Amino acid sequence: MDKPIYLDNNATTPIAPQVASTMRPYLEHLYFNPSSMYDAAAQVARAMSEARNHVRELIGGVPANEITFTSCATESNNAAIFGAVRALPKKRHIVTTAVEHPAVIEPCRDLARRGWSVDFLPVDRQGRLDSAEFVRALRTDTLLVTVMHGNNETGVIFPIEELARITKETNPEILFHTDATQTVGKIPVDLSEELQNVDMLTFSAHKLHGPKGIGALFARRGTPLRPLLLGGHQERGRRGGTENVAGIVGMGEACRLAGENLGASERVRAQRDRLQAELEERIPWLEVNGAEAERLPNALSVACHCIEGESILAQLDAEGVHASSGSACTSGSLEPSHVLKAMGLPFTALHGSVRFSLSRYTTEAEIERVIEIFPPIVEALRRISPYWDTEKASPRADVLHGQSCLP
Amino acid sequence: MDRRIFQLENDAQRSRLAGWLDQRKGTLMGWEYSEKTRQIFMDAVHGKPGTHLGEVEDPDGIGEHGSIVCGDALRFTFRVDRHPSDPLKDVITEARYMTFGCTSAIAASEALCSIIEEGSYTPVEALKITNEDIVSYLEGLPQQKIHCSVMGAEALHEAVFDWAERRGVDLKDAGFEAPESDEDEGRIVCQCLSLSEPYIRRKVQELNLRTIPEITNAIKAGGACESCHQAPGGLQDILDDIWGPSETEPPSKPEEESESTPETLSPFAFMKKIEQVIDEDIRPRLKADGGDIELVDIKDRIVYCRLLGACAGCPGASTTLKLMVEQTLKNRVHKDVRVIAV
Repeated sequence: MDKPIYLDNNATTPIAPQVASTMRPYLEHLYFNPSSMYDAAAQVARAMSEARNHVRELIGGVPANEITFTSCATESNNAAIFGAVRALPKKRHIVTTAVEHPAVIEPCRDLARRGWSVDFLPVDRQGRLDSAEFVRALRTDTLLVTVMHGNNETGVIFPIEELARITKETNPEILFHTDATQTVGKIPVDLSEELQNVDMLTFSAHKLHGPKGIGALFARRGTPLRPLLLGGHQERGRRGGTENVAGIVGMGEACRLAGENLGASERVRAQRDRLQAELEERIPWLEVNGAEAERLPNALSVACHCIEGESILAQLDAEGVHASSGSACTSGSLEPSHVLKAMGLPFTALHGSVRFSLSRYTTEAEIERVIEIFPPIVEALRRISPYWDTEKASPRADVLHGQSCLP
Repeated sequence: MDRRIFQLENDAQRSRLAGWLDQRKGTLMGWEYSEKTRQIFMDAVHGKPGTHLGEVEDPDGIGEHGSIVCGDALRFTFRVDRHPSDPLKDVITEARYMTFGCTSAIAASEALCSIIEEGSYTPVEALKITNEDIVSYLEGLPQQKIHCSVMGAEALHEAVFDWAERRGVDLKDAGFEAPESDEDEGRIVCQCLSLSEPYIRRKVQELNLRTIPEITNAIKAGGACESCHQAPGGLQDILDDIWGPSETEPPSKPEEESESTPETLSPFAFMKKIEQVIDEDIRPRLKADGGDIELVDIKDRIVYCRLLGACAGCPGASTTLKLMVEQTLKNRVHKDVRVIAV
């Protein structure tokens, strides 16, 4: 079989060859601790500082000391949320959304269990937030707002600029955090201009063709934040622990390349739009999640009525296509995607979702191949499904009329 | 339509698939499926001869289990070779399934049909087939997927009860209790997956389930929101009731936080006044220019509103509008009013 077709870039991305080669010396002979007091160590520290510059350039040229390197976006999100909570112990109210990544939802749930008041804002059928709902949830004594920038499953982009402005106009002391793991490197993110009201922003390297095990937390100067990891003076005391030098250097190079390649996102968008249009034409009863919302250029989430996502993925995999699904059977839980549920996707399609996420390395030929193989896979599984009427090419009438259990 | 996926038409495809199966060495989609499970799944979806997809026409028994909401469902049908005088000597000759579900749900359905056809069982003998027989036919299933085999056994049992009714057989004579049709109806314990207390109790005893994870793996109950785990009358209570209390204490409930809202000067009067000024003064002026205003919320002295119409969308104009609205409200309602555009 040919090279696998990798369309799971919202899960992780292949490391850019140039990133890997930039990292190599720091895994081999440049192993020195950047805090040490000899010239070889200072050379390592300089490489880290250069990497930090590349990272800050990608998000609007913010000051270098506003970037803290962490081990991943999950750590960054935890550091932002728990760090803010511990710095402002008197405030007890948090606003977030029902569709956040688990790295935000779980810390928020944990706080809710321990007595904080947390609002999980709903989204509409297209995955959009209603700014009026947001305003009603906001309180003048709110501690933290944490709302993701781009959704990992559907690619729907939230209006962070507007939400951060409303937050700061309500009370400049309310902290505004956004998980931008899916957007940095895919669309312009400028913390000096349109996102100037954002206090904290998180992302990681492996979503933009960098290595795993390295993430960043942007925290604007003056943001009250207690460190999550106490230890040495590394990262100006914001995160103790000897630096992951190779990871940091890799993240820097990945950010530099991502900045250079931001223009490629229009080509990626065209490929995504083509894939979407062709699948919609060839597959009856296909939902395109968030079709009417503003979306990441690389993401396409579809849901097939009457079949189950894991069995779709298994066959895609057999054809050498790597994708993912929000179906219950692909997760550890038995519950289908909380994002698609929050969007009110019909129950007949809730288990049949498939997410294709492209990258700048995706080719036309690969998209062509998916267009060719995906519809027959859906059709084969529908022939097996007791809910599908093959003759009418639609779900069986009784299923459509709301009868969820077999008669 | 490209039918290539349905059948393996040539050796190249077959060897490609075999190569893929080899290379995977036991993992598929993150789940540890056995070689046999994966082979049966691929044969089934490719409609290989000898597989059992479909429905028996004019079946002698129909059984169904699961629902589209829960994520998997099975419709199982069989035909018997009718014995001329004694229905108890009927032999199942054909079994078919339609399945909505994941790899292991489809493989378990296929396994069920194979077991039955290979054994030439009478329906009463078929009742002895358990979910464990299906699991061993598949050479094992991941713990989290055991419920797929339970679904197969449940559908089979239902189909046999259906056969008994059609053939006028009293299963009690054969030593089996046919369940009352509404036996499993009752209080819903697991709301997410619509599972009732009688059903959960029956399965806990039948399958000797001792812990909540065992229940979830076997019948999915409690696998979604998990709120029924420790709730009164929930899974732990059912387990305690059947097997005696466990030693672990349920986690303590979080303490109620008392919320202190600062006393403010009659928010109601403030709101009424804002509404009045918007209706009488601001809205008519905006409407004259083809615009409108919608009050979204009020907190303390902050007024949130949507400015709509002709000028909305133009950043310069909306700033001017906001300032006009704010100034009017400051003058006529309260000097501390702030307006935020939403």
